[in-house]
Amino acid sequence: MSDLDAYRDQARAWLDTMAPKYGRDARRGMSEVDSLAMGREFQALKYEAGYAGINWPKEIGGQGLTHLHKITYDGLEMNYGMPTVFFGISLGMPVPILMRFGMGENKEHFPWVKERVIKALRGEEIWCQLFSEPAGGSDLAGLRTKAEPDGNGWRMTGQKIWTSWAQYCDYGVIVVRTDPNVEKHKGLTYFWVDMKAKGVDVRPIKLAGGDSHVNEVFFDDVRLEDSQRMSPVGGGFGVALATLMIERYIATDSGGFGPHLDVFTDLVKGLDLNGQPALKDARVRQQIARNHAMRAGLDSITSRAFQMLQAGMEPGPEGSLQKLVAVRSRQKLSELAMDLQGNLGLHFDPHAYVKEDWGASWLNAPTGRIAGGSDEVLLNTIAERILGLPQDHRPDKGVAFNQIPA
Amino acid sequence: MSILYDEGQQAIATESRRVLDARVSKDRLLKLLEQVGDYDQGFWDTAVEQGWTALAIPEEHGGLGLSLVELGLVALASGAATAGAPFLTFGYGAAQALVASGNTELQTAWLPKLASGEAIGTVAFGEGTCPLPPVPATVYAGGKLSGAKEAVPGGLKADLAIVWASHGGQPALVLAELAGAARAPVDSYDNSRVYADIAFADAPATLLAEGAAARTLALDLLARMAVVTAHEQVGGAEELLKIAREYAVTRKAFGQPIGAFQSIKHRIAEMYGLVEVARANCIHAAASEGKPNFLIAAADARISATDGYDTASRDCVQIHGGIGVTWELGLHLHMRRARSLAVELGNLYFWEDLLVEQLTGEAA
Repeated sequence: MSDLDAYRDQARAWLDTMAPKYGRDARRGMSEVDSLAMGREFQALKYEAGYAGINWPKEIGGQGLTHLHKITYDGLEMNYGMPTVFFGISLGMPVPILMRFGMGENKEHFPWVKERVIKALRGEEIWCQLFSEPAGGSDLAGLRTKAEPDGNGWRMTGQKIWTSWAQYCDYGVIVVRTDPNVEKHKGLTYFWVDMKAKGVDVRPIKLAGGDSHVNEVFFDDVRLEDSQRMSPVGGGFGVALATLMIERYIATDSGGFGPHLDVFTDLVKGLDLNGQPALKDARVRQQIARNHAMRAGLDSITSRAFQMLQAGMEPGPEGSLQKLVAVRSRQKLSELAMDLQGNLGLHFDPHAYVKEDWGASWLNAPTGRIAGGSDEVLLNTIAERILGLPQDHRPDKGVAFNQIPA
Repeated sequence: MSILYDEGQQAIATESRRVLDARVSKDRLLKLLEQVGDYDQGFWDTAVEQGWTALAIPEEHGGLGLSLVELGLVALASGAATAGAPFLTFGYGAAQALVASGNTELQTAWLPKLASGEAIGTVAFGEGTCPLPPVPATVYAGGKLSGAKEAVPGGLKADLAIVWASHGGQPALVLAELAGAARAPVDSYDNSRVYADIAFADAPATLLAEGAAARTLALDLLARMAVVTAHEQVGGAEELLKIAREYAVTRKAFGQPIGAFQSIKHRIAEMYGLVEVARANCIHAAASEGKPNFLIAAADARISATDGYDTASRDCVQIHGGIGVTWELGLHLHMRRARSLAVELGNLYFWEDLLVEQLTGEAA
């Protein structure tokens, strides 16, 4: 048995002991606030057990294991529906970026950063990522929130949007405009911000599916110390890109984070279509077969990437297809599942779990096709970065930000 | 279980690609389209010389004893070049039928010849519109075979065929020598596949398997050949992706390369997705040979590769505009091959139903 197999068995055994109290079934019907409290408890236990910060350095509170150990654990944990969703972004991007860019030139902030890291790993503090704005989503560098020099620090004013879990966050990382007189990419600077500071106003946004995990965040003349700066002045876009690239190989889900195909076949097995079992219907069979072939391909890409990492190789760029391909298919399969149920498919439970319920999966699927890179942006990225096709025509290229028509 | 190719496998991939690039001629392939009954002799000589015919035949029978993984890599290279004669896939299927039959006499008689290229084998399962009829109309009785098989790939030139037939109302697999069979060439859109209608009239034949065992073996053979073909399809689709990409960065319109238009670049990015998903399925399926999930893995590869090659040939031509539909440019070699490969090994309806049956236990 390889080291990783043993690790997987051990992690599974531990998760099995946690599931009765913290797993999906134990929390059915629980409010978000209660679920968050459970999540903080679980996260602390996870830290004690050595499953938090798995691939982070020991000296800063991590476990010092490999990236493979981390995706092995994450892949397992995903099956239990543990209340870790509140910490996913926090530990996924802002905190690693803080470790990389927040130490200060002479590591003078190390003790403070280490304290933040451990509190974040234990679920005591949560970090958000303040990037998107009403005027800049896919076009991140078009953002308008500004920070102006103020003595030995800065004053920040503006608005961010789609900020996940900001309502529960203690800190955030933020990219803002510090110079509107240069090209849009060149006038940005990266900071961390205290979400409890004066002038910060978080307003949850209710989404189509009924929940409110994203927010608008308003900054009204918020004071930032220069020690909160994580990039050179004007060098914020580079750190922002580093944030987005931080983990290209995370635990993926060929079901597009919706129900798996066996949930679909189980549903179909109980249904009739035109007076015969729905599973006999050629249209239904075709969809099952096509979806299976597609998802199996994505799973095989994932397992090959895993093997490459294990062999010390860099996995191929095909991993970037996962979200694009999987979420689109989830959306259509959810529609089909609702169709097949006829009028029975009109029932809706706003608290249902998206990996088990087709209505919930369908209504929340568009978010998956937009958040973290829209389908269109992903296609552009594949075309430009992998295939070397030319960039789109961009009229704002080479133009100072304040000269771009708004 | 997927795999990473080892050094030997990578060498086969590189070498087969190099040899084919040097020897395949588009002009010759274009000529073959308008000739009924001829295949690419140059390709076949290369296949024999390179040992591709021997790759997956056991060593004790004159083969190299390698697996579907290696054969798949050769197929990937031939697919890219629209090279080939159908014998690479169907000869492999015929050899595997003999290996599985346990009939040592037949193995000794035929496997060394198939390995050395001295004999050519094919497989004739389908009848009419059905790739694997439940009760075939071709009948085997008392060592004789009677019936007809339409458009058998390679059928015009093969020396033996593994035939799906009925035996006492039960399905059976038999080996028939084709020397005495009546064969009529089929004029096809992909003539180098040398399809032939074959009529058997009390032709001498040998029973290899019957009843449920025959069906199990037939499905296993189809799955193996589907995996080889899927590699060939992925090779073709990947080549079209490269051609489309090359054209999109070179050809200019409205003052910029057409690849800067999202309608073009997204189309090409989608092709990339189809190719990589199908490739991943191919690698997984080839490595699953002989394992319990092999049929499922092969069907996944077959479905994604067929869809990928069809879509790539459609879209690559579209991206080229007018020049794409000319005889001379030859993109139609891929269009034609995409369709012949899609049909000759069982259409997607067959594979989709088979996959769902494997997944759910519910037959169509």
